[in-house]
Amino acid sequence: MNYSFDFQSVTRNFGPLLDGLVVTLQLTAAANLIGLTLGFVVALMVMSRWGVVRWPATMFVEFFRCTPALVQIVWFFYCVPMLFNVFLGSVTMGIVALGLNLTAFNAEAYRASIQAVPREQLDAGIALGLNPLQRILYIVLPNAFRASVPVLLTNGIGIFQQSALVAIVAVQDLMYQGKTLATQTYRPIETFTIVALIYFAVSFPVGQLVGYLERRRATLAE
Amino acid sequence: MIDRATAPLVSVSGLQKAYGALQVLQGIDLTMKPGERLVVIGPSGGGKSTLLRVMMGLENINGGSITFAGKPYIHAGATPAKTAIDVQVRRSIGMVFQHYTLFPHLNVLQNLILAPCKVRGEKKSAATERANTLLIRFGLGQKATAFPSQLSGGQKQRVAIARALMLDPKLMLFDEVTSALDPELVGEVEQVILQLARQNMPMMIVTHDMWFAKNIASRVLFCAGGFIVEDGPPEQVLGAPKEERTKDFIDRVFHIRQ
Repeated sequence: MNYSFDFQSVTRNFGPLLDGLVVTLQLTAAANLIGLTLGFVVALMVMSRWGVVRWPATMFVEFFRCTPALVQIVWFFYCVPMLFNVFLGSVTMGIVALGLNLTAFNAEAYRASIQAVPREQLDAGIALGLNPLQRILYIVLPNAFRASVPVLLTNGIGIFQQSALVAIVAVQDLMYQGKTLATQTYRPIETFTIVALIYFAVSFPVGQLVGYLERRRATLAE
Repeated sequence: MIDRATAPLVSVSGLQKAYGALQVLQGIDLTMKPGERLVVIGPSGGGKSTLLRVMMGLENINGGSITFAGKPYIHAGATPAKTAIDVQVRRSIGMVFQHYTLFPHLNVLQNLILAPCKVRGEKKSAATERANTLLIRFGLGQKATAFPSQLSGGQKQRVAIARALMLDPKLMLFDEVTSALDPELVGEVEQVILQLARQNMPMMIVTHDMWFAKNIASRVLFCAGGFIVEDGPPEQVLGAPKEERTKDFIDRVFHIRQ
């Protein structure tokens, strides 16, 4: 291959890439805010004893887990305005799509960790005279939340990466800025390499943190 | 008037418990006087742990009733789900389990004061003071701020016992509390229970440790097939059992007849 690399053409235009990174981080933060809170509510609904509450929540989770995120984003962008006559900015649309996707995955993480609280912990709570609400507040939830942190972080950083998909509906995130820059400079190799490195630079430390938390948890387990 | 010294602390009558089609307790009758220390022995699946779990109010029952200190405590309903359990009475009973006893997200002191503060509304400072006294008594004075993961199995069980005692129980239930421990840690836990025995704490103990059973019991029950097969002083049940089934069991676990 006879190609002379020119990374300077990209580094000279670093401003737009940074702007894109800021948008990507905003999308990630907003989607995580939705996913962490709504995910918990949906998890409780999925575990409800009443079918009317359980079924819609289960359908919601399965729908988002069993369809590609790209399709979800495109569907939201094109279908929501037409079906419901709701017109939102593309950034808002991206946040909603990514947030609901994360909600489904986080609901599963919460549910699994709530159900993984050992039965004996609840028995101990009864033996100590705690009422059902106190057992949930002081035993189940703190136990479950700790257990779910690594998965929630993994899902959260997964959304950071998935957010690149919103570039397809013209959200000016890191990926979108990269595409634009590649077209302007005719330097796709250099541009996308640097874009990938930026995604990596954010994701990698979080991945390491998850690994550390899981190792620590393994030693904490009885 | 009821004579307080001889009136039963616990009185179980016709207690039946099934898990689905599996009948685990087949009509247990039992009275326990204050100050008695009942050790329940018997083969796995014989119903001894279930008996303790029912006593703690952790299980619905299929038939029978239990009174505690003269008050109705548990009463079977038309279906197991309708078992009536008096939660006020339940609070005067404490229990220590085999596994996962402590709350892993709380340190030792927080484990001890959670129930006194939340259930009884005790002031945090008062509960903390009582907790520290108990911890020192059990040789855990240095461990108040340690988390369960930083304790040995024996220390965890001693903390669990202290936690149960924080609620001033009138009866303590111990369900195989040393079965999951390394052999060298068994002694320290049994010492704590013996210490309680010397203070006349009424207790029911399920154990496979015959040495411990012999040392602590004022009365031994041999449970098998959902029945109490033999009931008597330790010298009799462990030393010279009358029932054939008890003899077989004792021979197998004791190796040498005492």
